[in-house]
Amino acid sequence: MDSGSLPMDDYESLISTTDVELLKTAWRNEKAAPEILRYEIDLIQRIRGQIQLMEETVDEFSAGGTDPLTVSLYQMDLDRTQFLLRSYLRIRIQKIEKYMFHIAKTDELWNRLSKEEKTFARRKGISSFNNDLSQHLEESVLSKLPENYQSIQKQSVISEEDDMVPEPQLETFVVCRSKEYLTGIQLEDGPVDDRSKLFEMERGVLYFICYKSIKALVESGKIDLL
Amino acid sequence: MYGRRATQLVKEFASAEKGQLTAFNSDQFEQVIAECSQHHLELQSLIRKMQEEGLDVQTTRNADHYGALIHHLSLVRNKRCLMAYMYNRAEIIRSLLWKIGPVLPLEIEEKLCHLEEEYFKKHSTALKSYMSKLELDLTVDMVPPKDPYIQVRVLDDIGEGIVLSDDKTANFARHSMHFLKRTDAEQFISRGLMEELTG
Repeated sequence: MDSGSLPMDDYESLISTTDVELLKTAWRNEKAAPEILRYEIDLIQRIRGQIQLMEETVDEFSAGGTDPLTVSLYQMDLDRTQFLLRSYLRIRIQKIEKYMFHIAKTDELWNRLSKEEKTFARRKGISSFNNDLSQHLEESVLSKLPENYQSIQKQSVISEEDDMVPEPQLETFVVCRSKEYLTGIQLEDGPVDDRSKLFEMERGVLYFICYKSIKALVESGKIDLL
Repeated sequence: MYGRRATQLVKEFASAEKGQLTAFNSDQFEQVIAECSQHHLELQSLIRKMQEEGLDVQTTRNADHYGALIHHLSLVRNKRCLMAYMYNRAEIIRSLLWKIGPVLPLEIEEKLCHLEEEYFKKHSTALKSYMSKLELDLTVDMVPPKDPYIQVRVLDDIGEGIVLSDDKTANFARHSMHFLKRTDAEQFISRGLMEELTG
């Protein structure tokens, strides 16, 4: 076998496609993105399977009297993966808590949630929310206001849009790195004259850029956030 | 001045230390709510007046129309301030759930109004049921692990016979020191019963 003489690039790409690395990327993206991203359903399932396997291995090792150092190395690896998984799910649930109404009324965002996350946010019908936060605001403020001002989505009955719903700020800056050479990125910020110019991204170079401009590329997985 | 009380309410929240709660200002809160009803009454009476004068409420632009508009805008502003106050407080309350856990110490609980306490409880239940569906406890592992084991000192009598994840029991007498799995120790640390010894 010539596995020992793999060119560096292949070796790197091999390493970077293990599930733990993929989880790390998903975690970093989720952490840096202002809005909720698609739930990595397959990846999370695989990771959970692997964690279980690792737990069994560690148990077997410690029962079988394997060298404690080896066991603790396995344990450390396991702990790190566990942390990534928990932190990933935690960041998501906190985003959901924060932008509950915005997510619940936007189908595109709603469909990014996992089954459990959907149950957690409990959407009943598109327009009427029913979760603990809406109930809380309902009871503490809205029910005490005059009739035409009780909506949780609109400032008053004469508002045409939902102007009461907090949304994530997409015009924020993020650090990112592209996986491939990209061209034709439309900048969404800066002086108006500059906006018609298209922006290019080299592979592997760090950029500091407005999230809104690269939103679609993050979603399609071409760009990673850091 | 219209809207001042509501602004004060929001300012009071904003001037508190980040992530810290101030006591729920129910006096001010109720006053703003009362102000809202007052605005609404005056708004309605102005509109009624216009109707009695036989004017078209939709298109007339006289003093009464602008008067009514001011009341409407003040009401909307008050509503936004009240909602911002509650919404941002709710955000801190949720963060407490992550940082401290489902049981709040008395000095924090005092700062919540009754409805906020309810919300805290309900939210904690919702989160718990989410985690039990996942079969994963998300409240541990709050910081990236450096070492699977950490050295801790017990700050308060926790008691004997506490079962750890490796099925061993431990006696956590006050001031005793232990070498524990991070995941085991974390729950005690977050409740302030143990401290991590570093260096």
